[in-house]
Amino acid sequence: MGRAVAIIGAGQSRHGKRMDVCYPDLIREAVLAVFEDTGLTPDDIEGVVSGTMPSMMEGVAMTHFYFADAIQAVGKPILKTETCGSTGVSIAHTAYYWVSSGMADVIMAVGHEKMNEGDSQATMTTVMDPFYQRYFLSGAPGVFSMQSQGWSVRFNIPEQKVREAAALISVSHHDSAFDNPYAHVKVRLTIDDVKNAKIITYPIRLYDVCPNSDGACAVIFASEQVAKRVCKTPAWVKGVGYRGEEQFFGDSDKAVWPSAVGAAKEAYEQAGIINPRRELDVAELYNPFTYQEMLFYECFGFCDFGQAPDLVLKGVFGRKGELPCAPSGGVLCTNPIGATGLIRVAEAAMQVMGKAGDHQIPGAKMALAHAMGGIDQFNGVLILGSEL
Amino acid sequence: MTMKVGIVAVAQISGPDSKDNFYDQAYRVTKEVLDKAGLKREELGTVVSTASDVFHGGISCANAYYWESVGAFLKNGTRQDGESIFALSYAAMRILSGHYDTALAVGLCKGSENPENDTITQFFTDPFYQRPIGVNETMAAALQMRQYMERYGVSEEQCAKVAVKNLGNALWNPYAHRKGRYTVDDILKSKRIIDPLTEWQCAPKSEGMVAVLLASEDKARKLTGKPVWLKGYGCSLDAFYLGDRDLLKGQLKNASAVAYKMAGIRDPRKEIDLAEISEPYAFQELLWCEQLGFCGEGEGGTLIDSMATQMNGDMPVNPSGGLLATNPYVSRGLQRVAEAVLQIRGQAGERQVDREVNTALAHGTHGFAGQCHAVVILGR
Repeated sequence: MGRAVAIIGAGQSRHGKRMDVCYPDLIREAVLAVFEDTGLTPDDIEGVVSGTMPSMMEGVAMTHFYFADAIQAVGKPILKTETCGSTGVSIAHTAYYWVSSGMADVIMAVGHEKMNEGDSQATMTTVMDPFYQRYFLSGAPGVFSMQSQGWSVRFNIPEQKVREAAALISVSHHDSAFDNPYAHVKVRLTIDDVKNAKIITYPIRLYDVCPNSDGACAVIFASEQVAKRVCKTPAWVKGVGYRGEEQFFGDSDKAVWPSAVGAAKEAYEQAGIINPRRELDVAELYNPFTYQEMLFYECFGFCDFGQAPDLVLKGVFGRKGELPCAPSGGVLCTNPIGATGLIRVAEAAMQVMGKAGDHQIPGAKMALAHAMGGIDQFNGVLILGSEL
Repeated sequence: MTMKVGIVAVAQISGPDSKDNFYDQAYRVTKEVLDKAGLKREELGTVVSTASDVFHGGISCANAYYWESVGAFLKNGTRQDGESIFALSYAAMRILSGHYDTALAVGLCKGSENPENDTITQFFTDPFYQRPIGVNETMAAALQMRQYMERYGVSEEQCAKVAVKNLGNALWNPYAHRKGRYTVDDILKSKRIIDPLTEWQCAPKSEGMVAVLLASEDKARKLTGKPVWLKGYGCSLDAFYLGDRDLLKGQLKNASAVAYKMAGIRDPRKEIDLAEISEPYAFQELLWCEQLGFCGEGEGGTLIDSMATQMNGDMPVNPSGGLLATNPYVSRGLQRVAEAVLQIRGQAGERQVDREVNTALAHGTHGFAGQCHAVVILGR
């Protein structure tokens, strides 16, 4: 690890279907919020990292041009980091490395998406190569359904048990969203509501799936010297991990998922974490699908493979459980993709800074943020701690 | 920079088109650069690639498509969008952070599978004001060129001389897409694209895969006897709307000032021996030379007249032929870096310049009328 780096503040837009603002103004909401949170001004920012999903999402290419003013990057160096769904965490990683390298002391990371101005599933279908996969891997739910089915069959988990656990995850996250002022979908659900909702891609039903959200997030990273001067409770970056896999779905194992296992392992080693379930206080997982969330618990070493549904039903990962996961309501309730990973980082930072408001996990000192992307190809992890 | 980052090896594939598919080309440059360094894929630290969804044959999330082809399978890697010099600087940051001792920067663009560049650059515009009037990169450049000629009295002939020089230089470059001996008259009489720009003054649409292997100081010295050091880096982004900007006083001056300061350069014309500049339009080489401090404001025309920027001049600019010869949109910045490295090492083959090259500048730009500039200083 190089120079110590901390997050000194985060800002989010109000996420949802935001037809009341244009895309640059949506971004300004988050950028203004991070300046308010940190007390810094645009002049304090030495460089900007920007990122989003592919151009087809909103029909604007190389968005750092259009948003140069909104992200306060005029006259400054920029890096434009994009890695599909994992973009948000990759942006955070870029800001971390930039400060850690000693090339800057204060870097702002901005992620954004205005999904209601495009067709997200059509866009995601264009991620597949045009010759083999595009014809049948339509959109995201197909990929993630296959992955979840493969996982439950591999570990002989009864279908009914997985269904119960996924429904509990959905109810719990939708409840949590009421405690998060920025969250998009806010509905009170019962287990039966989830189990009887319309099928999207078997076995995934409507409330097992994230929405299309408009939203932006901005996070400021600073060197040790600056962080200690301007912030009372910095969230220190303890570990960064990232792994990528091949394009052809089916060539590698998606149940014991090497990129997820590898990314977490790399970050744990840097953070000195041996038993994540005990040492982490909160995890902001990238959970657009309830079924897939359980797979991450296992790949990240929160429990053994095949055990996640049992532990979910025991409440281990609930708001008052041993390791609360996605107390913000998570991706399941809010998913502006280019911002989503960075929102996980912002939420994890807010938890260890003690600034998460109504969804604060009391005494949280060590938090994990995560994002996933590609055709089940990429996983990025970032660990934050309250102590240097 | 307290620590040093060195470039160990470079590799490139480029030209108009080829029968090889994207995967094969990406794999070959990656393999070549690792072989040159004697490094196994397993020993490589991290991979930072650059590709752009819009310059990527209609496939979104570019990195999802080629990840394993660039040696990144189950590695910590990432992607930059738009400008491949971003990948170089980010790869250097990853080394300077102490996490890695080797990093691969790759730029990937298969122009032959894309629509015309300007069909794509039109999507840089906002959907409300600029897009309905059809602004694209060439139109923005035409406005900039007209303003340049009017404000400083630079002539169309002087702008055309850049194309004569660069397309001539390209004759010696086996990686060049367009090349030939032309006269100023030939250039000016080629098809008018958007007034005052003619066809030979606008960069083509090319294929280009470029790989650059970086390493920490110790590791670089172990892997090669001829490391080229990264001495300085600067980047600056301009405002979006063309009307909000003075197109002749953009951000290149700012970007180069940062790079020069880092490299300890006070008089760029004297201290820099060679420059590889991104000039998607002929006149921009003159304008960029001014902003890089190679001559005074408005003196770009005089500079090209003086023959100083010729291959055998005292300040060779684009001995590779530059972008007018070869323009793989996303990879072009990193290709300038690769060419500058070859010149410093004396490995540029027939396009090697006469003078000794100790310090070289590589420049990348993308966006309308140079909305974003990145400058790299390389040295022995």
